[in-house]
Amino acid sequence: MDSAKRKLALPHRILMEAEKPARYTGGELNSVMKEADLVKIRFCFCFPDVYEIGMSHLGMQILYGLMNSYEDVWCERVFSPWTDMDAIMRRENIPLFALESQDPVKDFDFLGFTLQYEMCYVNILQVLELSGMALYAKDRGEDDPIVIGGGPCTYNAEPIADFFDIFYIGEGEVSYRKLFDLYEEHKERGYKKADFLHEAAKLEGIYVPALYDIVYNEDKTIKSIEPKYDDIPRVVKKNVVKDLDASFYPTAPVVPFIQATQDRAVLEVMRGCIRGCRFCQAGQIYKPVRARNVDTLIRYAEELMENTGYEELSLSSLSTSDHPGLKELLERLINMCNEKKINISLPSLRIDAFSLDVMNKVQDVKKNSLTFAPEAGSQRMRNVINKGLTVENILNGAELAFKGGWNKVKLYFMIGLPGEEDEDVAAIAELSNEVAALYYDTVPKSERQGRVTITASSSFFVPKPFTAFQWAAMNTPEEFLRKAAHCKSKVREQLNQKSIVYHYHDASTTIIEGVLARGDRKLSAVIEEVYRKGGIFDAWTETFSYERWMKAFKDCGMDYGFYIYRERPEEEMFPWDIIDSGVTKKYLYREWMNSKAGTVTLNCRDKCAGCGAGTFMCGICLQPRGGAA
Amino acid sequence: MSVSVRFKFSRKGPVRYIGHLDMLRYFQKAVMRSGLPARYSEGFHPHQIMSFAYPLGVSMETEGDYMDLDLTEEIPEEEMLKRLNAVMNEGVSVSRATILKENAENAMALVAAADYRLSISEGADEAAAAVERIMSCKEILIDGGETKRGKKPKAPKDIRAGILDMRAEDGGYVFMRLLSGSAMNVRPADVFDKLNEAAGGKMYCDCICRLEIYAKKDDSLIPLSEADKRDA
Repeated sequence: MDSAKRKLALPHRILMEAEKPARYTGGELNSVMKEADLVKIRFCFCFPDVYEIGMSHLGMQILYGLMNSYEDVWCERVFSPWTDMDAIMRRENIPLFALESQDPVKDFDFLGFTLQYEMCYVNILQVLELSGMALYAKDRGEDDPIVIGGGPCTYNAEPIADFFDIFYIGEGEVSYRKLFDLYEEHKERGYKKADFLHEAAKLEGIYVPALYDIVYNEDKTIKSIEPKYDDIPRVVKKNVVKDLDASFYPTAPVVPFIQATQDRAVLEVMRGCIRGCRFCQAGQIYKPVRARNVDTLIRYAEELMENTGYEELSLSSLSTSDHPGLKELLERLINMCNEKKINISLPSLRIDAFSLDVMNKVQDVKKNSLTFAPEAGSQRMRNVINKGLTVENILNGAELAFKGGWNKVKLYFMIGLPGEEDEDVAAIAELSNEVAALYYDTVPKSERQGRVTITASSSFFVPKPFTAFQWAAMNTPEEFLRKAAHCKSKVREQLNQKSIVYHYHDASTTIIEGVLARGDRKLSAVIEEVYRKGGIFDAWTETFSYERWMKAFKDCGMDYGFYIYRERPEEEMFPWDIIDSGVTKKYLYREWMNSKAGTVTLNCRDKCAGCGAGTFMCGICLQPRGGAA
Repeated sequence: MSVSVRFKFSRKGPVRYIGHLDMLRYFQKAVMRSGLPARYSEGFHPHQIMSFAYPLGVSMETEGDYMDLDLTEEIPEEEMLKRLNAVMNEGVSVSRATILKENAENAMALVAAADYRLSISEGADEAAAAVERIMSCKEILIDGGETKRGKKPKAPKDIRAGILDMRAEDGGYVFMRLLSGSAMNVRPADVFDKLNEAAGGKMYCDCICRLEIYAKKDDSLIPLSEADKRDA
């Protein structure tokens, strides 16, 4: 087809009204056009946030590339129209459309949402409504697309379960082909949505929420989760890619015209994490850790450069320093990239002599700031959260960095961790001061380029499902703010206070995130109510309204404190017990107890902690290590 | 070594909705993919030495815009076109590559005039009469815009002398040749607003396409691809 004549869903007049019309016109490099009549399945992939955020997401690129590698499937993209376009589309009655074909979303076979953070839940309703579909799965018809959700929030998607037909649990590379085969089979022999969903529920990692009844106790906790049929599993086990080197990788990702939040090529070097920080959900749900082979990665890097023209390559993983072949990988990448004038960015790299040496070789000569994530100010708290970073690690890293010419350091902390005392919060200020003082001790006056800048940021802690802290109580907004103010005043007391900048996040967003993270199905009414009252783009401070949420809880007769302010007992059944992440509840509870005792647990490489992910029989779990298997 | 090349490019269809900076980023990536030996600037953030003659506004199409690029080695013009066109997106292509003489002036400084074709999607019947009315005016005043502080509007300015030529064409088009550059810069959208005013607001233009950009040589206009060309 003559692509320059590709039709657009929005007329010129309307595009010119939009803040950034290119969010809605598609046609980017490596976007995929197919003949709609020649495919059997049309899949519309939605990242329910604005284009620039969604286009920065690697997971979408993986599934987009994978699905489009199937001849019978055409995967397209859609994002949440920004508030300006949202208003225009409602005013003009224009149905939401996919970027590639510009066809209405409602005409697709599947509408798949990636669920990356709780604060985008209202945007799911926005997308459904703008597409002309009913919000609740039960109200949608045979001809409506199957609405499917994937990504980290599906590990407890109960608050939005009523809006979805299917949740895909685990890594997307594994089961979509089987799901599509099943769909095609049903289409050929006379499709009935209910039959298809019933059969789909038997596939690995496919959770059909409507097929499970939730039985509650009188105290509002869950008594049991009952499958409606005997032939569907009682718990849904996540999908895991066993051989990462053999799985699909998007080496020709879609390259946006407008600048996305992440304007660079991404190389996923490893999946999972060996560390076992007790607050971290990603560390648990992506277990076991699996590293890609260096040769594979070099080949991907070459293809990425050739196919995108990006001037920067970013290595991605939860903890890149733990990649077993990192030294060789970086040596080879540096040679390749220097020759091609490509910059390498290395987020999530532990700061030590090796990484600083690498950064000297790859980064622009201008020294950007270095980031440490101690997560907690005191060693006691770092033991509680099992963050294996000591003051010595931080100071040694900072000293090397200062000697190497860096004079900006960012420190990330959390406030509101379980068992936290005021002195732990004050320790944030003291640690920041120590790092600042170290600069003046390390760098002679004649070599200083102005003052050192220590930027300490704290976010407020949200307990997440499938972590050791899933039983923990959250702080109230008042406690959060009191602690942050305490931290701020302690910063002001430090000798080097002029070199320290302290920021803290918004407490009210944190509360809502907490409720949605560990909530149950009863919350769907609240989410709907917030949306009906105008709530969209809750992940954005300018559009978020705490009052709207508080009013919705009240109007729906819901006590949100139930979900966040109580410490849950050991035996309580959780809404997310329907999911089997591999990591057992027994192990997580053991970790909760270890946390209360301040006992550190070794990382997966040093000693197996018996978390349960070994049942997937892949990655680090197959390697000989200390401890129980 | 360093050699400067001037590329003439076109952009058509949906890709016209991206802005000037995005177009710059687009070409930087295209040059990377093409494998053309771009020369990089010195300093902390080495970047390709690339410049555009005339920023393309959001929604404007072009058949004759120009991008200058420095290379570290000379490559035959046909070969450069082939390599770049092999990695282009839908709707964007390069049609000419001209090797420039040493110390050529930067493209932006050369711009003296440009041709435009406006697609009149509504009220095209009014176009011929409106053009005639405007062209017969001795003075055409447009809003001078706001001063930097955004407080008081600037004095209206007369753009009549900047409209070198204008005519209605078959198929609902209006052709314009307008002065551009530092002395007087006339925007096609401003001229269209005047036309539309003359037509009683019945016209709607859904696409402006730039056809060519000119430099001034002696007293005549020459396409930018002909200016500062290296002698054969």
